[in-house]
Formats: sequence, structure tokens, C-alpha cells
Amino acid sequence: MAQDVTPVEWIDLPEESLTPREQRLERAATVLRWGAIANGALAIILIVLAFLGGLKIIPNLFTTLHTLLLGRFSSADDAALATVILLILVDISLVLVLMIGILAREIWALPAIWLVVAVNIVGVVLLGFTPAIFSIIAAVWSGIIISRDVRAFRINPVMLKELRGRMRGVRAFIVLTIYLGLMSGFTALLYLIYTPLAQAGGSASAGSIGRVLFVGLVAVELLLIIFIAPAFTAGAITGERERQTYDLLRTTLLASPSFVIGKLESALSYILLLLFSAIPLQSIAFLFGGVTELELIFSFVILAVTAIALGTVGIYFSAITPRTLSASIRSYTIALAVTFGIPIILSLPFLNAFVNAVAGYGSGVSSSPVVESILIYIGLILVSLNPVATALTAQQLLTDRQVIGFWSVTLSSDGSTIPLVSPWISFSIAYLVISTVLIVLAVRQMRKVEA
Amino acid sequence: MSLIIETKELVKRYGKFSAVNGLSLEVPLGSIYGFVGPNGAGKTTTMRMLTTLTRPTNGKAWIAGHSVTDEPRAVRRAIGYMPDEFGVYDDMRVWEYLDFFAACYDIAESERKRLIEDLLELVDLSHRREDMVDKLSRGMKQRLSLARTLAHDPAVLILDEPASGLDPRARVEIRELLVQLAKMGKTIFFSSHILADVAEICTHIGIVEAGQMVVQGSMDEMRAQLMPHREIMVTVRDNEAAEAVKSLVAEMENVVNVTILEPKAGRSRVRIDFTGDDDGVAAVNQKLHGAAIAILGFSEETKDLESMFMRVTKGIVT
Ligand SMILES: Nc1ncnc2c1ncn2[C@@H]1O[C@H](COP(=O)(O)OP(=O)(O)O)[C@@H](O)[C@H]1O
Ligand SMILES: [Mg+2]
Repeated sequence: MAQDVTPVEWIDLPEESLTPREQRLERAATVLRWGAIANGALAIILIVLAFLGGLKIIPNLFTTLHTLLLGRFSSADDAALATVILLILVDISLVLVLMIGILAREIWALPAIWLVVAVNIVGVVLLGFTPAIFSIIAAVWSGIIISRDVRAFRINPVMLKELRGRMRGVRAFIVLTIYLGLMSGFTALLYLIYTPLAQAGGSASAGSIGRVLFVGLVAVELLLIIFIAPAFTAGAITGERERQTYDLLRTTLLASPSFVIGKLESALSYILLLLFSAIPLQSIAFLFGGVTELELIFSFVILAVTAIALGTVGIYFSAITPRTLSASIRSYTIALAVTFGIPIILSLPFLNAFVNAVAGYGSGVSSSPVVESILIYIGLILVSLNPVATALTAQQLLTDRQVIGFWSVTLSSDGSTIPLVSPWISFSIAYLVISTVLIVLAVRQMRKVEA
Repeated sequence: MSLIIETKELVKRYGKFSAVNGLSLEVPLGSIYGFVGPNGAGKTTTMRMLTTLTRPTNGKAWIAGHSVTDEPRAVRRAIGYMPDEFGVYDDMRVWEYLDFFAACYDIAESERKRLIEDLLELVDLSHRREDMVDKLSRGMKQRLSLARTLAHDPAVLILDEPASGLDPRARVEIRELLVQLAKMGKTIFFSSHILADVAEICTHIGIVEAGQMVVQGSMDEMRAQLMPHREIMVTVRDNEAAEAVKSLVAEMENVVNVTILEPKAGRSRVRIDFTGDDDGVAAVNQKLHGAAIAILGFSEETKDLESMFMRVTKGIVT
């Protein structure tokens, strides 16, 4: 067989001869892309202004921006600015997800587009969030474009195919049973070990048992995701190549985004199934008390976002590597580096600033407010790149200070306060944006043709 | 005659090695075109360029008027491709396999059910509808593959060695299917390294060797081109007589070549390569009779397709 799976060179395929339907989708996606770009430009400008404002170079800047961009949100001006930037970033991830959904012709994109419009209008009405105008215009515009051909949107054929295979016969059922069996066993074990220990230590409240069970289950699920998500997707493209079906697919009219999203959806729906099926177990922890609904939601969001991100990492490597094995190795390397490598960096002493800030101590790392706030923000960003650190920090903020979204820190250097968000938000934004970028890169790689 | 596939000086180089080297191909609309050549001749490479899977290093190719390099999606819409390897999805039923590919060709779900029934009927697999794809015999897989290429009703089928590795019966079935598809108006461009596979059903043929076209044309043209080349075998008593025959006819009109063959059963034979018509053959006969040579036999050899190609291709195609 003379087919080389590692062609040395690849050439971009021209985007020609699109059918009217494809042109329409492409146009709708372009509109959204420009919406995201406009949002991004505004976010960058605001971040620059925030620094200038922080240095008090322009007087009254924060107040002006507050009234201009988030007029109906009563808070400190600096916190308002941080909120605006954050909301813009949320909008960017939403718009990008929509864009990919439309390119892949996903049926969920239809309701999602109007949902994004609605959410943004709510933002304008309740908070006076004027930058929503970018996303509203982009979403409405592309919504109108695609409304002319609603039938272009359908259930993803690749997802359907994968799920049919994965769910066939008794295998999927057995896997699920084993999984639930192990999870139950683990819960029981945790309960049996922890209760006597805690009683000996005199702290065996039902609440603390509930907490331990909850945290234990989430930790196992996270571990599971780290190992399953890349495994499900690292073979997405390489597997088709190895089975010699990739060429068949490439000569069909299936668009690359549909292929990538279909693979991702099938992996995610299986993982979601596992997560959902473990909810009864988690509710046991709930019965003991000590766990709030919010924590349940946070943990679910963090797990789901982790699954999405690691799934796209798998797909990305599957697109750029010739073999499933090497794609898997690379994906796992990234998954492990992100989950276990970043906590190691976090434990470095120079990042104490953020950890102390979370704990509510003065950070005490520098006498300069600029250095101190930069260190705290770097800490937040690093924590937001890691699901474990994100979960722990979000939980600590929630239980200690009832922080759900926003909080602030008083600098120990000059007593001023800086606004911050709970890492589960920044984590979700960062991971969704990274996922989108990886999807776009994978699609681009797939569109290239062997030279 | 309009062409549905056309290539001009197509070249594909891998490093210094040219897998396809200036290949010009002309496949008329509605033809069954056999693309024949030994293993490694560049058939698969040519087909991969035509199906937009790999870029030509040089040269141009069009399918249904669309450039392979500039309008790949239009080309994909026009072709159904069956590679030489059957791509198997192990966890799939026969109807799911077709359903998946039909969906990939953007065929609405409401139409797919009907389409799948029709396709299965066509390739005679209706009774295996619910079977797993990887449990089918090779011949059935090949027919399923063929059904898949038809999902979007393409104008051209590009089939890479559709009959290779099949048992004789399955081979006949595929061949009949191809004829049937041609009747439905599809142009069929298929490759083979076995001439016999091709000769029986093709309307056109192209013989490729080392990445270059040796000959191509319609079967009728090929026959016409070759048929005037008749072989007249004259049997005489001894070598002396043979020499006499040779000198007698060598100068005649339309005689291309005269060869004295090894004696057989004590008789000498002379082969006369002749390009004239029936009157010419009669003239040769008369001339020999007119001379005082004892002629034991005078016959015209009929040549089968096989030897006709052997001659054109200097024996490169087996
Ligand atoms: N990707 C490739 N890299 C290097 N050489 C190749 C590649 N593909 C094909 N070849 C070479 O090109 C020649 C023609 O191959 P191919 O087109 O498969 O021949 P055929 O299908 O007629 O048997 C062979 O010698 C083969 O080794
Ligand atoms: Mg071949």
C-alpha cells in the first residue's frame, strides 16, 4: 500500500463553489466572527484603560466607564469595570460557540442564537451593559441570515454514527454498571473510613461526612474525565485514517466543522451520561448536609468545561498527528500537565499573593500596589487554568465568604481594593475560548489537502 | 462527444519519483472506461488526484467541467469514489452505513429511508439490511461500497480496482452491476490490473504504464486500429519453399513483414503481417498459386483481444 499517512506538506484547499446554503452559513459565521472580534477589541481597550486608570493617569476614568458601560449596576467603579470586561469575555465565548455551532450546522445553534440575544438584552436592561450591542447585532444579524434556511440545521451525522456504535448492545450498559458500581463502592469506602476517623477526632458532624463524600466523588469524576475525554477524542481523525475511512469522508460533502463537532459531541454526551448517572450518588452526600446546591452546580460546570477542553485537546492532536497512539500520548501529556503541573507551579512561594488573598490575609508580598495586584491577577489566571485549583478556590470562596461571582481584595501595600472573580467563571471562559481556538485549528488542518 | 473527465499532462511527484508522469486522460460522458495498468503504474495516484484527495504536482484535471484543484467541492458533488481499500466501521449495520454517508452528502432524513431501500435493492443486499458491516463477505462489502458511492446520485463513479480480491462469482456480479449502472446513465471510470476484467464490459480503455498513458480510446477504435493488421500463415513443405514464398510476397503492397517460423511437424511456416483488405488477401493467395510452390496451407489467424493488447503494449499488461 502506497498511501502515506504523513504527507510532508499540506496545501490549503480553496473555499470555492459553496452551495447557496453553505454560503449562507459561512456568512452567518463571518458576522459572528466579527462580533467576537469587536468584543475582543473592546475588552483589550478596557484592560489597557484599567491599567491606566489604576495608575490614576486619567482622572475619573472608572466613573465615566462605569456610567457608560454598566450604568445600572451599582457597585464600586473599579469593580464595575472588571465586571464589564468579564461580561464581554463571556459574550466572546458565547459568540464563538455559536459560530462553531452554525458552521457545523448543529440544530442546537438555532435556539442558542436567540438565547444569546435574550441574555444580552437582559444584561442591557438590568445592568445597563451597553457593550452587549456588539453581540446582539451579530447574533440577530446571523440569526436572520440562517432563518432563511432552517433546514440546513440537523442532528450531526457523525455524532449519530458514533453514538450508535458506542451505545450498541450490552457493552455500553455494562460499562455504565461497572462505573456506577465502582463509584458506589468508593462512596461506601469513603464513608466507612472517614466516619470512625472523624469520630475519634470528635468532629463527625453529618455535614462534614457529606462534604467528604461530595469532594471525593467530584475528585473521582474529575480523574475519570481526565482519562476518558482525551481517550475518546484522540482517535477522532487518526482513527478514521487508520480504518481507511477518512478518505471516504473527505470525498463527501461533510464539512470539517461538522466532523469535529460531531466527534466532540459524541464523546461529551457519553461523559455527560456518566456525570448525570452519578448524581444520585452525589445526592447521598447532599442528604448528609454540609453541601449546598451552588457547590453542586459549580462542580458540574467545572467538570463539564474540563471535559469539553480536554476533548478538544484530543481532537486537535488527532488532526495534527498521523497516529492515534501519538495523538493520545500528546493529549494525555497536556491533560496531566494542566491538572497536575499547574498546582506545582501554584505552590511556588511567589504566588502566595493570590492564595493569601483567597484566605483573606493580607498578601504581604510587596510594598508596591502595582506589583501586588499583578501578582494576585497572575495567581487568579493560573488557578483558572487548572480545574482542581479552580474547584478548591471557588469552594473556599463560597463557604468562607459566600462569594458566587465577584469579590475584591484589599491590598496590604496601600489599602486600596481590587476586584476579582470566582475562578470558576474565569476558568470556564478561558477553557471555552481555548477549546474554540483548538477546534478552529483542527478544522483548518482538516481542510488542507495533501500536497 | 463531451468529456466528463479530462486531464492534461497530469504529474504527481513524490520527492524525485514520478508516480504519474504527464498523463492525459479523456473519459467521454456515459462511457465505461477501463483504466488498466500493472501494479505501481500510478492508477491509484491518478484517482486520488481526481477525487481531490491529493494535489497534482503539475498539470490540470477537470471533472464535469470543474477543476480538481480550484473547485474541489463541486468535483466531490459530481463523483462517487470507491477506494481500493474498503473502509470498515466495525460497529455499524448495513443500513446505518448507508444512512451515515447519505447524511454526509446532506440528504434530508426524510428522503434517506427511501434512498437506502432503493440502493440496497440495486446492489441486492436488502436481505442483509440489519447485518453488521464487518460481517459481510468481501463481495458484499464491495457491493455495499458501490451503493455508498451512489448515495448522492453522482454523474461519475471513480472505482479503484473494484474487482480485485473477489472470487469469480462476485467478480461477475460486480461487472453486471457496473453495466447496469452505465445503463442508468452513470459514467464509470474504473481501474484494474487485469485486462480480462476490463475488456468484456468497457466501451473505452486507457492503458497506463509507469505513470504514462500508453494508448487510450474506444474499444471500437482500438479494434479498427488493430484489425487491419492481419496475420496470414502459409504452410509449405520445406525451408527452401519458405524462402521462395518470402521473396515472392515481401515486395507486395500492404505486406508489412514476412517471417519464417520454426518448422513444425516437418513443415515450414511463413507468417505474413498484412494490412490490406480482403481483396488484398485474395491477391496474395493468387500470387502464391501462380508461382510453382507447393502450398500445403493458407490461413488467416484470428487474434483475440488479449494478443491485440499484448502487441500494442509490448507485453506490459498481463
Ligand atoms: N504517498 C506516496 N509516497 C511515495 N510514493 C508513493 C505514494 N503513493 C504512491 N507512491 C508510489 O507511486 C507509484 C504508483 O502507485 P499507485 O498509484 O498506487 O499505483 P497503482 O494504483 O497503479 O498500483 C508506486 O510506485 C508507489 O510506490
Ligand atoms: Mg492501486
